[in-house]
Amino acid sequence: MALAMLAFAAGWANAQQGLTIDIFGPGQAKANLLLSRPLGEAAADRVPVLSSDLQERIHRNLRYMPFLRDMPASDIIGGDAVPTPKAPGIDFKKFAMARTDYLVTSGWRETSGGSGQVNLRVYEVYSGNFLFGQEYSEAKSGNIQEIADRFCSKLMEVLTGRKGFFESKLAFARKEGAGKEIWISGPTGSGARRVTSAGGINTSPSWSTDGSRIAFAHIGDKGHALGVHSLGTGRTDLYPVAGGVLIGPCFLPGGGVAATVEVNGQQGIYQLEGPSFKPSRPLATSWGIDVSPCFDKSGQRMAFASGRQGGPQIFVMDVGSGQVTRVTFEGKYNTSPSLSPDGKLLAYSRDSSEGHRIYVHDMVSGAEKQVSFGPGFDQEPSFDPTGYYIAFSSNRTGTYRLYLTTVHGDEAIPLDTGSGEARSPDWAPAN
Amino acid sequence: MKSFVKLVAIGLCLVLAMSAVGCGKKQVSGSPELSAEERARREAEARRQAELEALRQRDMDAQRARELGAGGTVKNALTEMIFFAYDSSEISPAARDILQQKANALKAQPAVRLTVEGYCDERGTPEYNMALGQRRAKSAKEYLTLLGVSAARLTTVSYGEERPLATGQNEAAWAKNRRAEFKPN
Repeated sequence: MALAMLAFAAGWANAQQGLTIDIFGPGQAKANLLLSRPLGEAAADRVPVLSSDLQERIHRNLRYMPFLRDMPASDIIGGDAVPTPKAPGIDFKKFAMARTDYLVTSGWRETSGGSGQVNLRVYEVYSGNFLFGQEYSEAKSGNIQEIADRFCSKLMEVLTGRKGFFESKLAFARKEGAGKEIWISGPTGSGARRVTSAGGINTSPSWSTDGSRIAFAHIGDKGHALGVHSLGTGRTDLYPVAGGVLIGPCFLPGGGVAATVEVNGQQGIYQLEGPSFKPSRPLATSWGIDVSPCFDKSGQRMAFASGRQGGPQIFVMDVGSGQVTRVTFEGKYNTSPSLSPDGKLLAYSRDSSEGHRIYVHDMVSGAEKQVSFGPGFDQEPSFDPTGYYIAFSSNRTGTYRLYLTTVHGDEAIPLDTGSGEARSPDWAPAN
Repeated sequence: MKSFVKLVAIGLCLVLAMSAVGCGKKQVSGSPELSAEERARREAEARRQAELEALRQRDMDAQRARELGAGGTVKNALTEMIFFAYDSSEISPAARDILQQKANALKAQPAVRLTVEGYCDERGTPEYNMALGQRRAKSAKEYLTLLGVSAARLTTVSYGEERPLATGQNEAAWAKNRRAEFKPN
């Protein structure tokens, strides 16, 4: 049953006009947010035990918003409790004195069997303005993460104007024994579940633009094949390739798949189309290695890694004209490109004397910035639908795991994808 | 018979030349703003890598010599692996000898087919390594066909950096993982 949620936003219009945090601006500052302890929606209402679980999950999500500082209760003289979950009745002064920018209250009404109704409200402390609120009528252990994600998604949208991160989905390859299967999870790794059982090695997942299918590279007993998993039916199909090679598939915004295959002895990036995903036209071929195609949301710009001028570098092709431009010049080994949805930023992995690191290249100004700092190998960046977060794989702890950083290079936070090596993150596009 | 030997010799020269042109590690032109200190550092690093590579090659030659029995026969000609330099699919002199033994064994056993599997060390990124592994498998296959083995008996598959033989982040482990394996079937 779908989660019933009501949004109440007396100050919604004001909030929309007054976006206070520019997450793409220079000198990003942190705003202080305090999540006050849960209490009854009305004085007589009981607070279910579940409320502490929601608090914990919201706190965990707040770690993934580096533009916010999740204030500890000890910062507030007199404690973080509020007498009532809604204004008037909240004394904002003690929060203002502690430099709190935003106050979140959670008002509960226990219903039955440990579940309850919860109202989450966000106030701007200095003005006392109500920014927005959400009511969930059936909060229970099975949907508590979803509630935390929905609330944080709205919080990010109201504060920054960017929406969808906490409701987005990641696909990745997770090691199981000698093989790998494709898994999907929430953006912080929550709710990770395996979606393929294809056997062999399954890697390099790529979401279709509508989020209904995942293409991946399969290596089995009979060699390479293109795998396509449909999330609606749960069905996985494998499409063998004539040339014996299939590397790094990527769903095209207009349909079909781009991947490195071999056609008549020529290896390169081809468009695969039709019900059996047969190669239809070359997109990037050369005497060197051409791999890892990726596209911006419009499908007009394709980035890829190519060894056509020596060591691998990142190139971008204008799909309409076919014109290819080299993007990276620093470093001898630049691979794994990922374009932001608007095509303005390119993330890639650069090999240095200290290992691979993630860089972000501004496609307009040409400026570059290092956003990951190891140790070990940081590889395979993937932009989230907002273009603010970047997931990547790293073996900094000895085993490859997934991490999250931002275009500003904020401290990398590990994603909780469960046990087992996790690699090749790919973010589902926003719908 | 002599003309056949000549033909094979010419073919070998050609494939070696092609490997050198097509698969060798390319030098990327450096930034003109590089300081003298940075240039010196990079040159020193390149020399260090070359010395390491030479050491590795000597170790492998020595290992191979140990594996040759007193009678000079290869213990398992069909399955013996060959190894590659970093970011290269060029067939090394040591690998050429191994492939020659393999071609002889294949000619002696015409019913046997081989799957050539290409592998890489972990230093690259997975998708680029998958393509490099394919090039390694293909180089070995092409060399064997030049030695007279029918291409129809040889299939290639790349595993990239999957299934490493040796774990560890050092040149000794990486050198073992930059390989082609041969599976009779």
